[in-house]
Amino acid sequence: MRLLMTASQIRGLPVVTVQGGEDVAEVRDVIYSPEAGRLVGVTLNKRGFLAGRSREVLPAEAIHAVGQHAVMVLDESSLAAPEDAPDDVAHPAMERNVLGDDVLTEGGASLGKVADLVLLVGSSGEVVGYQIDKAGGGRGYIPLPAQLSVSGVALVVPNITEEFVQDDLVGLGAAVDEFRARLGLP
Amino acid sequence: MSESFQRSAGRKVMSRSSAKELGAVSHLLVDAQQRQIAAVVIGRGKKAQLVEWAQLSGFGPDAVMVVDEGALQPPADDRERAAAEGRLELVGKRALSERGNELGKLDDVTFDADTGALEDLLIGDRRVHAGSLLGSGSYAAVLDESQEPSP
Repeated sequence: MRLLMTASQIRGLPVVTVQGGEDVAEVRDVIYSPEAGRLVGVTLNKRGFLAGRSREVLPAEAIHAVGQHAVMVLDESSLAAPEDAPDDVAHPAMERNVLGDDVLTEGGASLGKVADLVLLVGSSGEVVGYQIDKAGGGRGYIPLPAQLSVSGVALVVPNITEEFVQDDLVGLGAAVDEFRARLGLP
Repeated sequence: MSESFQRSAGRKVMSRSSAKELGAVSHLLVDAQQRQIAAVVIGRGKKAQLVEWAQLSGFGPDAVMVVDEGALQPPADDRERAAAEGRLELVGKRALSERGNELGKLDDVTFDADTGALEDLLIGDRRVHAGSLLGSGSYAAVLDESQEPSP
């Protein structure tokens, strides 16, 4: 059983220092690498009276954990100026956005379109599934292998993914490990 | 002897050298990394003053004894100013695990009145050893992941 959350639930979460207990920023948006199967970082808004876009970014390596109520970092030095951040965090490539992409099985069946990312709660940004708008209508959740091919318009998933389409996050949390075991993944 | 943050709030602060009353305990400032009380905050806002733990001659059940009046100092840095404004008060703070999940509200903290060492954190009906405290600030007290509820 894994505790999961969607990327939309992360937007607006405070960024809190483990050592200082201070909310130093809040999440504006997530930057995702479908090839790596994880977040590469998050962009930030300022907290409090100075609310508004922050210049600084938070690279995934500096994320201690993404939780249900906060994104944790060790201390304020975890926030990086764009010029000090890895290029894929400082200048995220827009064509890598998977939202709206068609999810196709290797056999050529369309499962639906990507609506949101699903992350492992407590990890540093591991993406384990997608929320999809199902081809037949309605919302669904699919598990992902660690890596997959993405083109910018479609992504290809193993055939067995079709057996693992879930109605909610709880169902997906229970299915992730079995899905990975069936594919022989860790 | 074991004391608590809640019980000691409002306790009078006396000078050992002059036997004068100097004020009352507003709250206690902690050094989370050392799991230790750093200072006693007396009063609040612009008039707030701090006494370092080392400047106490005793933290008693009826009064907190300060060696002399000179031990009362106005806030000296950002952290002490934040403490004077009451923003770092541990009791009432949200408790957050280092995994980013809320564990509840910190209702009270117990400590050794002889040494100022923190003992336990009380979160709802749970009693958590202070060794789990990793950091505390104006937003939250952060506890290690052993305090994470199992899914």
